[in-house]
Amino acid sequence: MSKHITAFTIIFIAFQYLRARKKQSLLATLGVTLGVTTFIVMINFMTGVNDFLDDAVFNGSPDMIISAKQNKSSSKQLFKTQINSLTKIDKIDTFLTKQENIQSFAHQIISPAILVSENNQLPGSINGVFPSSEKNMVDLERRLIEGEGFDSLLEKDNAILLGISLARKLQVSTGDHLKMILPNGKNKRLQVAGIFSFGITTIDNVRTYFPARTLQNLLGQHDAITHVHLKLKNRDDVGLKTEASNPMNAVIIEDWKDANKTIVIGNKVRDILTWSVSFALLLVAGFGIYNILNSTVVQKRKDIAVLKTIGYAANDIIFIFLVQSVSIGLLGALFGAGLGYVISYVISTTPLDTTDFIIVDTYPINFKLGYYILGVVFGVATTILSGYFPSKKASSVDPVTVIRGI
Amino acid sequence: MMLETKQINKYFYEPEKHQVLKNISLQITSGELTAVYGESGSGKSTLLYILSTLDRDFEGRLQILNHEIKELSAAELTNFRNQHIGFVYQFHYLLSEFNVLQNIMLPAMKLGAKTKEEIKHDAILLLKELGMQDVAKRASYKLSGGQQQRVAIARALINNPSLIVADEPTGNLDQKNSDMIFDLLKEVTSKREKAVVIATHNPKIYQNSDKAIEMIDGSIRL
Ligand SMILES: Nc1ncnc2c1ncn2[C@@H]1O[C@H](COP(=O)(O)OP(=O)(O)O)[C@@H](O)[C@H]1O
Ligand SMILES: [Mg+2]
Repeated sequence: MSKHITAFTIIFIAFQYLRARKKQSLLATLGVTLGVTTFIVMINFMTGVNDFLDDAVFNGSPDMIISAKQNKSSSKQLFKTQINSLTKIDKIDTFLTKQENIQSFAHQIISPAILVSENNQLPGSINGVFPSSEKNMVDLERRLIEGEGFDSLLEKDNAILLGISLARKLQVSTGDHLKMILPNGKNKRLQVAGIFSFGITTIDNVRTYFPARTLQNLLGQHDAITHVHLKLKNRDDVGLKTEASNPMNAVIIEDWKDANKTIVIGNKVRDILTWSVSFALLLVAGFGIYNILNSTVVQKRKDIAVLKTIGYAANDIIFIFLVQSVSIGLLGALFGAGLGYVISYVISTTPLDTTDFIIVDTYPINFKLGYYILGVVFGVATTILSGYFPSKKASSVDPVTVIRGI
Repeated sequence: MMLETKQINKYFYEPEKHQVLKNISLQITSGELTAVYGESGSGKSTLLYILSTLDRDFEGRLQILNHEIKELSAAELTNFRNQHIGFVYQFHYLLSEFNVLQNIMLPAMKLGAKTKEEIKHDAILLLKELGMQDVAKRASYKLSGGQQQRVAIARALINNPSLIVADEPTGNLDQKNSDMIFDLLKEVTSKREKAVVIATHNPKIYQNSDKAIEMIDGSIRL
């Protein structure tokens, strides 16, 4: 009971001091609120964008790509009708099957082509895939907007799947017909079997899926493979790249970092921005609290001296001031978390015009409880830190000096 | 013996080393009001800060209630002071954020030997004895000087300490209030069996105390 009543008194004294400086206390609280709100909104938004891009890019594209080196003699030819294919595909396969870090891999034959619809014609490329192995690489079902996924490629040899931006440009939808013209002059009538979206234009503008067998036949290059796509178990471990260049001479190996440099950098920039802005704001808030407590300590030296003479210990005095800064911190941080949630929610429901880069209806926002806890912890930690030194100063007030001083 | 000092010497080092208390040996008994008087600068306050355990930076020995004060740890000393010593200053020093009752309750709230209700009850009883129950809820800074000093004495008494130390408690008051405070302290001494030490240069006080100690230039005049 004894500890109980002392704690009660200490908290009571602390709140009396806060009440005596309502305006400043409120301002300090708002400072913390601002810092925590900014942190939460920014981290929700930035990680939302990061996660969205990660999901779209890294699940939409392979972690590593093996492709054939450009053949010099053929590149000198004016019209290139043969595409460079990987020569020792059997060897590559045997090598890859032995690798620990590979989750799955799939062959592709990619060829330049012109797609012609009733309203438009576009040069681009056609991804010839083997549906059963491509299924292990890309979760297309989740991305489908209309029509069917890879299965349709198995059923019909002229079925094609299109990225949404590409489909829009061609002004086609599922069931419509297209003509494909290949470099060797061959052409074929295709039917759109499905339309998908990964959410970013770099993919949705160009990506197509088409049965590899049909493409090989049309090109007259039976069994030709131009690319092998790899999915790694641990994406950050790209040691395979150097390891593979020896046994697989004359191939180009590219990993996800090479292919998505701008996105990797963008993620980093967003992270840095989030942390530095929030840190700066909390620093300002912390400084505000430091100032308030410091001037309270100076003003209340007599009170502190009296409290010490009537039996309050140095630790009690520290607590009186820490309680003040922690209450400011906790209140401000909780408000900040609430406000952060509200603002994040509003942003997440704000309709977004499709930009050139991302294709979404609203901003991608993360709502992870962990960020709120982190924000509150940061807010409170800032106030404890900024309250500590004034509290320490208060506890070292010498009552004799103060009592004599008057 | 309630309080005993042996050969206390006290030095200050600012602006240069000089001795402020010289070989102070004295004894204070319960139920006695001891007045320490002497000219300004003779060392009364310095002695009282030592007697009330606020200042332990001295040579010699101080025993209160058979405790060797210099041997107590900081935490023990804080508790000891809270429990056994009440201090009254020339400038009452009430906490302005608190009302009269709350100010009186503060030391007991720290001691924590009683419930809040019991402490409140004690505080109201004290105020009644001082004839001040009407102002219990009033902000402390709204009282007159004499009233504030009486509240300060009530605060010094709330934990029922054995020793009350008062440094010029009437120094700031008119004659009427001064008499009233002195009578109050005398009453506390006799009725409550306290040891009370007052520093003063008011002859009316030291002539009417149980024991008077004159200080001259840091020494006790024998
Ligand atoms: N903190 C200090 N530093 C240096 N000298 C001091 C200090 N406090 C008091 N003194 C000196 O000690 C002497 C005694 O002072 P004090 O005890 O306040 O006397 P009194 O209370 O009898 O007027 C005085 O000469 C005073 O100047
Ligand atoms: Mg003095």
